Amino acid sequence: MSVKQGPKGGAAAGKSKKMATPGAQEKREDVLQAVILADSFQDRFRPFSLAKPRCLLPIANVPAIEYTLEFLAANGVQEVFIYCGAHSEAIETYVHDSQRYSSRSIINPFSSIEFIRVSDATSVGDFLRDLDKRGLIGGDFILVHGDLVANIELDGALAKHRARREANRDACMTMVLLQVPQEHRALKSRVITPEFIIEPSTGRCLQYEERHPLQSDHYTVLDPALFKYPEFEIHEDLIDCGIDICTPEVLALWSESFDYELPRKNFLHGVLKDWELNGKLIYTEIMETGYAVRANSLAMYECVSRDVLGRWTFPYVPETNFVHGMSYKRVRDGSRLEDGVSISREAKVTGSVIGRSTEVGVGATISRSVIGSRCKIGKNVRIENSYIWDDTVIGDDSWVIRSILAESVEIGKDCRIPEGSLISYKVRIGDGQLLPPNPAPRLSLLQHDGSLAETDSSIVGQGGAGALYEGPIEEDDDESEDGDGTDPAALQNSLIFSLAHLNLSASSISTLASHDEFDSDHEESESRLLRPDSSGASRSRLSSFASDDSAAASSLDAFHSDAVHGLVDALRADDSVDFDSAKLEFMGLRLANNASDSSMRRAIAVAFVRRSSELLGAENGGLEPTKAAEEAFTSKRGAVRFIKEVGVGGDDTSRQSEFALALQKALLAVKGLEATRAGALLAAMLQQLYSLDVLEEEGILAWWGDKRAAENDSLAKIKEKCRVLVEWLENADEEESDEEDSD
Amino acid sequence: MAPSQAGYAPSLDKLLKSLKNHPLEASIDALIFLLTRRQVHGDDCAIATAHILLQVVARSKWNDVDQLLARVQKAGSRLVYAAPDEPVIGNIVRRVLGLIRDEASEERNADDLSESASDIQTLTTSSSPPPRPPPLVRSTTAGGSMSVSKSMFNLLSVADPADLPTGASTPVSQAQPASIQALRSEVIDGIEEIMDEISQADDQIASFAEIQINPGDYVLVYRPSKTVEKFLVKAASKRRFTVFIAGLEPHKKQGAEAPYAALRKKLNAAGVNTVNLASNGLTAYMARVSKVVISAKAVYQNGGLLVDSGSCIAVQAAEAYSKPVIVLCGVYKFCPQDPSEELSWGGVKGNSSAEVSYAEGAEVDELEVENTVTDYVRPEHVDIYLTNLGPQTLHHFAGILADHYKPEEMLLSLQLGEA
Repeated sequence: MSVKQGPKGGAAAGKSKKMATPGAQEKREDVLQAVILADSFQDRFRPFSLAKPRCLLPIANVPAIEYTLEFLAANGVQEVFIYCGAHSEAIETYVHDSQRYSSRSIINPFSSIEFIRVSDATSVGDFLRDLDKRGLIGGDFILVHGDLVANIELDGALAKHRARREANRDACMTMVLLQVPQEHRALKSRVITPEFIIEPSTGRCLQYEERHPLQSDHYTVLDPALFKYPEFEIHEDLIDCGIDICTPEVLALWSESFDYELPRKNFLHGVLKDWELNGKLIYTEIMETGYAVRANSLAMYECVSRDVLGRWTFPYVPETNFVHGMSYKRVRDGSRLEDGVSISREAKVTGSVIGRSTEVGVGATISRSVIGSRCKIGKNVRIENSYIWDDTVIGDDSWVIRSILAESVEIGKDCRIPEGSLISYKVRIGDGQLLPPNPAPRLSLLQHDGSLAETDSSIVGQGGAGALYEGPIEEDDDESEDGDGTDPAALQNSLIFSLAHLNLSASSISTLASHDEFDSDHEESESRLLRPDSSGASRSRLSSFASDDSAAASSLDAFHSDAVHGLVDALRADDSVDFDSAKLEFMGLRLANNASDSSMRRAIAVAFVRRSSELLGAENGGLEPTKAAEEAFTSKRGAVRFIKEVGVGGDDTSRQSEFALALQKALLAVKGLEATRAGALLAAMLQQLYSLDVLEEEGILAWWGDKRAAENDSLAKIKEKCRVLVEWLENADEEESDEEDSD
Repeated sequence: MAPSQAGYAPSLDKLLKSLKNHPLEASIDALIFLLTRRQVHGDDCAIATAHILLQVVARSKWNDVDQLLARVQKAGSRLVYAAPDEPVIGNIVRRVLGLIRDEASEERNADDLSESASDIQTLTTSSSPPPRPPPLVRSTTAGGSMSVSKSMFNLLSVADPADLPTGASTPVSQAQPASIQALRSEVIDGIEEIMDEISQADDQIASFAEIQINPGDYVLVYRPSKTVEKFLVKAASKRRFTVFIAGLEPHKKQGAEAPYAALRKKLNAAGVNTVNLASNGLTAYMARVSKVVISAKAVYQNGGLLVDSGSCIAVQAAEAYSKPVIVLCGVYKFCPQDPSEELSWGGVKGNSSAEVSYAEGAEVDELEVENTVTDYVRPEHVDIYLTNLGPQTLHHFAGILADHYKPEEMLLSLQLGEA
């Protein structure tokens, strides 16, 4: 099965793996080590994370990393390594100054806490590759993130992991997951949906995929190899709390693939995909009881805060005072108050947590909120479902609804802070200011690059300080994998997870619209896999196709990209005017991969569209669409014939309309091409093909009538541009028939 | 390799094993966090507190009685604070403080060690009418702690230098006056007495089982604790009766052993029938039941009980049917104070997911879950308090409390927070 089945299993595969002396390894077996990833290289918590790292943001008045450290201590971890990226000094200072975790402290539950800084790290992957080089890890270790809140017991999972590892050296990792039903709030708040495909009898994870609402293909392509297993389950109902029990071989795997960045999307997906090569087995441990959730976005921050308020995270709740110096007590109406809180008699505080020395004025109502230490809440203030950090001042008669107010924010009198507001450190809002509810304001003193923003007094009012925070403009977005211009990260920057403003098409389950598919998927299995009406039944139906599909699936991806590259290169080539060699190469590829007609058609359409859209660009002369189309089709001898014979593959109308459709979709997938321009190019290309006798008017008209050509907005937009052409064709047709009639 | 197989999570056993290797503060803190996380709870709290206070007496530096009292009180109040739903911790702290005061006054009055030691003996066992039966089962923790503390005693005493390993004695201990040394060893002996009392309490209570349970009885127990289990097993060796086990957890984990399987096996082997009652079905059986046996977490001065949540239902059902309720509680669970105000409106809340799973979905959003860990049972619902000193009634309480606590400690409030 595996090539590398030596006595040391996968360890031998790691290039930079340092083999510790046997004695040292044995000694370390008993010491449980943990690695905390305290930076996740995301900017979801901006503007709050500009001044403070995510793991120091307070969850119910306790910095997130305290929960993480306490979770590790409760599970008997002895040695902790913390990888810091941004704000590493702040984290180090926090831990060193803490009464409990400082290195001098004799009450430290850990025998050592070590900070590791990697100067040029740009991803979690860099951290883990660095860890591999250092050779600090002696045995199994627990990998967690610095924003984890959990109260589960790992002993069971650790014991199972060890048993599996002893039975098979290649069982290298166990992921701890939490199973909850679909409508759970922790699932609703997340943007990226992880899909774990698991063999239920063993808990082995077979495949891992991710989905997010902005992608246009609302489905997951299963690896055909899955059908060799007697049964498997596809889970979308798992909370991934990022707790991994790893063997050192995991680090070796990270080192082997230098381009892996994310522990799930890249690493897990990649290792599972290549398991026939690396032979590594990854297991899941699904917990049914207990709590383990990461506060890895603002929406999740809210979710975790509510869970702490609701005591789901027990014993890590304020009233157990699990951090030194805390002094919370529960009072009658379910609130938790720390020492020195003064609440005036007429104020109503329900279900909230209020930190030390905060004052609440007469007539204030505070419900289901967290308020930090030393805050001053004025008279008749209304605070609901909000998270207010230390030293904040809220003036009389103001309302704060479902918002986050960072440290030292000052809100004037009679202000309205609407739902979803994010107000960063030291922002001041003048009296009587009503913040606009839509879109929810994000206010900050700092800009995304850390420089001071100019105060926008139309927002913060007289005597205010701060401005709307705008994220960095992402220029290289085109390069990202999430293709269609919209990054799911954009959804994670807001407190309230909502898709309402995005105008997503819900009906696109069977569209071919996205560039993703055009690049990496294949029509064949996709059209079989998921018809819009039978997505539920497709699983069982699919199994019957499994045998003949399995080989084709993987090779088709390769065929598509190779073929497109070959053709585009041939079209670009300046030195030759002949297209025959490219054609030969293409046919060779086709035979080698046993590609179907439709995949050939798609590849050819994509290639020509890419070339002609390139020609539109300024660096290639910035040709007009008509010129570009002409150049693309006619500059190389034999290209037209190639399209006619191979691309269209015949004279019948349906094939021609299919090819026109393929062109249209390929255009949609071209990055950086706006819809109107794409439409113009399509019209030009169709006209060119018409005049070159590749497409006939019946073919184009059939495409025009085809519903698939306008099944979503962007496709319709492109299509609309061809109306003139089609009308002209129709007229020509009529004229022709007129002529015939008159004859 | 063996310890790593047992799991990594910290526990009381691990803490007790490591007491010698860690600084005192680290041990205190470790226990505080075990208590905070509820990794030590219930009856283990008492013995854990005694162990830690013994360490405080044996290892902290103090030059006179007041310093010692202050140290014990500081450590004690931190422990109390860590687990406000375990009043028994406060009891042990008070007992130890009282012990120190006693010893100190003994020291001043008379130097005769043996006399004061015998005084402690009478103090801790007090005026108990029934003779203390010899311990039937020595729990392992007690055995282990004995040896630990014994060696600690040797380490610090100058009275017995012959036993000392070379180099073990420190200049500090030699520099201290002999009376301090004597006091220290006396107090340590006293704490060991308390630990013995705690570990033997269950067996002593069980020894009264045959008096309390008659042949043919139908005994209802609610989520039987170890104390109740021992009591039933002891009774089963002498009597034929039927046990109803109520309060079974509604959510049964797949593959887990049936609840109380071990207890039921033991009882069945002795010829006692057991019946499991699903969740709240117990009221229907109450007419048939002849007595209810529960164990208390703590008994307050007014005779009220702090019990694990749910037992209250059994007690109230028994009240409605006028069935006797027998409460099993060691004397160390008697608190010299009245129930706290917090208790009157629901007490300490526990983990919400104990009742409603976090994985429950929509409920998590819609419900405010309040999981009450403890119930308060009013004194009029209790008929017999069965202690290790024999059956008692409310009228004996003042005497028992006076025997075990000094007036100073009875008034002492330990809810001071971290000093």
